[in-house]
Amino acid sequence: MTTRPRHVVAALADDLAEWLPRQRWYAAKGSRPARIDVRAAAQLGAGDPALIQALVDVTAEGSGTEPYQLLIGLRSELPEHLAHAGIGRVGGDYAYEATQDPELMALLLDLMAAGRETEGISWQPEPGIRLVTGLRARPIGVEQSNTSIIFGYHYILKLFRRPTPGPNRDVELHRALFRAGSEQVAEPVAEVRWDGLVLGFAQRYLADSVEGWAAATASVRDLLAEGDLFAAEVGGDFAGEAGRLGEALATVHLDLARVLGAERMPADAVGAAVDELHARLDRALARVPELGEHEPMVRAAFDALRGLDGVDVQQVHGDLHLGQTLRTTTGWVLIDFEGEPAASPADRLRTRSPLRDVAGMLRSFDYAALHLLAGTEPDRQQLTRALEWADRNREAFCDGYAAVAGDPREQSALLRALELDKAVYEVVYEAGHRPDWLDIPLAALRRAG
Amino acid sequence: MTHPAAPDAALGLEGIPHTGEGLTADGHLTEPQSEDFDHARQAPEDPHWYKTAVFYEVLVRAFNDSDGNGTGDLRGLADKLDYLQWLGVDCLWLPPFYASPLRDGGYDISDFRAILPEFGTVEDFVYLLDQAHKRGIRVITDLVLNHTSDAHPWFQESRNNPEGPYGDFYVWSDNDEQYADARIIFVDTETSNWTFDPVRGQFYWHRFFAHQPDLNYENPEVQEAMLDVLRFWLDLGIDGFRLDAVPYLFEEEGTNCENLPRTHEFLRRCRKVVDDEYPGRVLLAEANQWPADVVEYFGDPATGGDECHMAFHFPLMPRIFMAVRRESRFPISEILAQTPAIPRNAQWGIFLRNHDELTLEMVTDEERDYMYAEYAKDPRMKANIGIRRRLAPLLDNDRNQQELFTALLLSLPGSPVLYYGDEIGMGDNIWLGDRDAVRTPMQWSPDRNAGFSRTDPGRLYLPVIMDPIYGFQAVNVEAQMNNTSSLLHWTRRMLQVRTQHTAFGLGDFAELGSSNPSVLAYLRRHGDDVILCVNNLSRFPQPVELDLAPYRGRVPMELTGGVRFPAIGELPYLLTLPGHGFYWFQISTRTEEVEPV
Repeated sequence: MTTRPRHVVAALADDLAEWLPRQRWYAAKGSRPARIDVRAAAQLGAGDPALIQALVDVTAEGSGTEPYQLLIGLRSELPEHLAHAGIGRVGGDYAYEATQDPELMALLLDLMAAGRETEGISWQPEPGIRLVTGLRARPIGVEQSNTSIIFGYHYILKLFRRPTPGPNRDVELHRALFRAGSEQVAEPVAEVRWDGLVLGFAQRYLADSVEGWAAATASVRDLLAEGDLFAAEVGGDFAGEAGRLGEALATVHLDLARVLGAERMPADAVGAAVDELHARLDRALARVPELGEHEPMVRAAFDALRGLDGVDVQQVHGDLHLGQTLRTTTGWVLIDFEGEPAASPADRLRTRSPLRDVAGMLRSFDYAALHLLAGTEPDRQQLTRALEWADRNREAFCDGYAAVAGDPREQSALLRALELDKAVYEVVYEAGHRPDWLDIPLAALRRAG
Repeated sequence: MTHPAAPDAALGLEGIPHTGEGLTADGHLTEPQSEDFDHARQAPEDPHWYKTAVFYEVLVRAFNDSDGNGTGDLRGLADKLDYLQWLGVDCLWLPPFYASPLRDGGYDISDFRAILPEFGTVEDFVYLLDQAHKRGIRVITDLVLNHTSDAHPWFQESRNNPEGPYGDFYVWSDNDEQYADARIIFVDTETSNWTFDPVRGQFYWHRFFAHQPDLNYENPEVQEAMLDVLRFWLDLGIDGFRLDAVPYLFEEEGTNCENLPRTHEFLRRCRKVVDDEYPGRVLLAEANQWPADVVEYFGDPATGGDECHMAFHFPLMPRIFMAVRRESRFPISEILAQTPAIPRNAQWGIFLRNHDELTLEMVTDEERDYMYAEYAKDPRMKANIGIRRRLAPLLDNDRNQQELFTALLLSLPGSPVLYYGDEIGMGDNIWLGDRDAVRTPMQWSPDRNAGFSRTDPGRLYLPVIMDPIYGFQAVNVEAQMNNTSSLLHWTRRMLQVRTQHTAFGLGDFAELGSSNPSVLAYLRRHGDDVILCVNNLSRFPQPVELDLAPYRGRVPMELTGGVRFPAIGELPYLLTLPGHGFYWFQISTRTEEVEPV
């Protein structure tokens, strides 16, 4: 067994160069790592199996240098259930992606509970938190840029695979909201840091929760199976939940404004923001020519904002959709405050209009209503029912929001512009990733015309 | 000589022992005593029988008519005990069978110590009790502590003789202004909790109907008189009481007159009588309130509970209906998460349907409108603030849903209460008045009057159900006994499975999260007995992945067929369920430390 973690990672460089591009969180899609530099490496568990945590700089061909977090397991024999996670060989050992190994992941909880620091990497519980140890670890499904581990029914640890310098928005906003007494976030319990980089963030795990997306689509499925009933008439009506979601979001916005402040974006800055919207549209038009027929309508909606004498801005969720909401037995919780995935780290930290989150949710209701029909022959009856579902739940959501904070529908020009901006973003995303779903945002643009 | 205040003739009690046959020297009414009657043999000893029992609510009037007068009776019920033993029920709950003018289904009691003549006599009741105990079946009945009928001799004495020994038995007032904060319960029929009595020239207090004056518990004699009523029936051998309308015993200005401390104090006195003089008998509270308030009726947890042994969990029932209609487990998950722990000797009573309407008091206004729209499509299906339907028609006679609902009833925490006839999927008749829709005669066979009575059909207390779907020729015990795939046989098998596992009655409850909102999964754990229940609340087939890591390596065994499923491994346990399907698994007999959820 090796005791020199830096050497192990360096020795694996060729294997990693093959392995990294196959990982979902690898950013430079399509280009092979040319160089892998080890910035930090720590041995977290010795023996067989052993665990190495490393921070490496990966320079890809034709792309920049990006930091990545690796967790590498070492075993003298690789059991069948870990065969899919293999990376390569080091000495006599097999190296593999350790997040797939419950035995090794269980060690991480002990590190957090003990507040351990190894090779400059610190595992620190939040002030006043005493973690329960001895829980089983379980990795969960694939995510875009993180890997999450669940400990028992108690905690979830999110490991950031591409840690970025500067404050981690997810951690900061969670802390701020939790300190403000918010019931709409899961309690932060620990953080993993190395030299100013946040490598991991652990929270209370809401074991008995369901994603808003799953709950909403269950309702749509129920509706579409009826065909001749209205959304308000079927058993699976979701409007009550949509209303409660609106209340939850408004509560989060009020809490964020209270603890982190809110300000008025002056009229001249609004003009600059409108220019940005146009610039985004330009880029989208270049990638998806089908957007062309909607260009005048979208630009007119953006330009309508130029008359505003200012816009209220504050910290918001930034990437809100039904998949970022969890229904627990006591109400709705918002997760993943990392901000818009496509934005740069600095951009993500900016204050924004809370209506951006509202627009994100409204678009998400549209998606939930229509995704079952995506890629199939359009059926007028079902389409009509689905759109009624979307309208009903969008209204209920706004009603719920308005019951707690201001009614977003009163800022109709801003809400419309932000929804269209979101739809344009979706068109680009679907064109690249899910062509079957492309018609969902395109149809929304047609209806807005 | 009959005392003029007691309208015995009108109540048919002439020649039968009853309250007020005579007067004592100090002006008290004479009352029948338990020593005047035989006593039933005792049920097998088991101090905690109510925690594992399956209850069966049966209306004496509706079950079986032994004397051919068109109304079911106690002897008739006794004749059907073999059926109930075969079905596997442990305890019968009989709504009131006391002498009554029957203006509120017998809850308007005019004599606590006499049986309604059409049901039989106290001797018939002792016979029923004795025969039931012989078969290991217990019997409890309703007792209304809060009020009497205005025909009760106590009330007649009280209104006619304000200075006599009963003058202070009821809550009298010169005006109708006191206790203005108390809500009116029967908003359909009553406009005030006070009614003027022209005989006495004063107002009397009533939380329910105007013909049901509230007893005055401020008066120690009332408390003693009601404790003696308990003793009368307990001496005869009854296994317990469902105490009706318990939150309302005392009144206090400036409160809503519900759940007052002195009400609890009196319940502790009742419990002490049971514990000291009649161990093994139970008190069940009927308090239609939120679980967090109802737990008060179990009493002090430090003593294991010193008020009622059991209480109904009211909000669970409408939420089961709502969850299945919404295809979402949250209506159930939420209410169970809000249900506090109960004292160690206490148990919930849970039910899907009973003789009252489907109660919607424990849901929000928005949810109530929703439930009306879903389950009471015809305005006549509504009553007060509930829905007057039986289980089968509520579920559109869908066998899968009936099985799912029953499986939930039998596996959620609490002792299940079945309602007579639901085991064969009986229907209702919403065109009958009041709450009679769900109180029609039990359907025994395709013969005349459904085998319930030999009388002329026109003389039945209520017509039997005759529609083509639920009518007695299609739905009856005889036909279902002869068909092993019937709902009746299915119900019996489920009761048998339930009896074999203490976890259902004694185990704790831990909901297992799942990412599928339509699947409700939970563990019931009692020592080595670990049961996993998985329920698909959707009409569509569903997959579910369950985190069963604490049981890695163990083999789940399905309980109705004994089939072994794949062992629990490293990954979340994947199950697929058909629409409205459910599974009960036994996880293992081995012990291992289990994390709390």
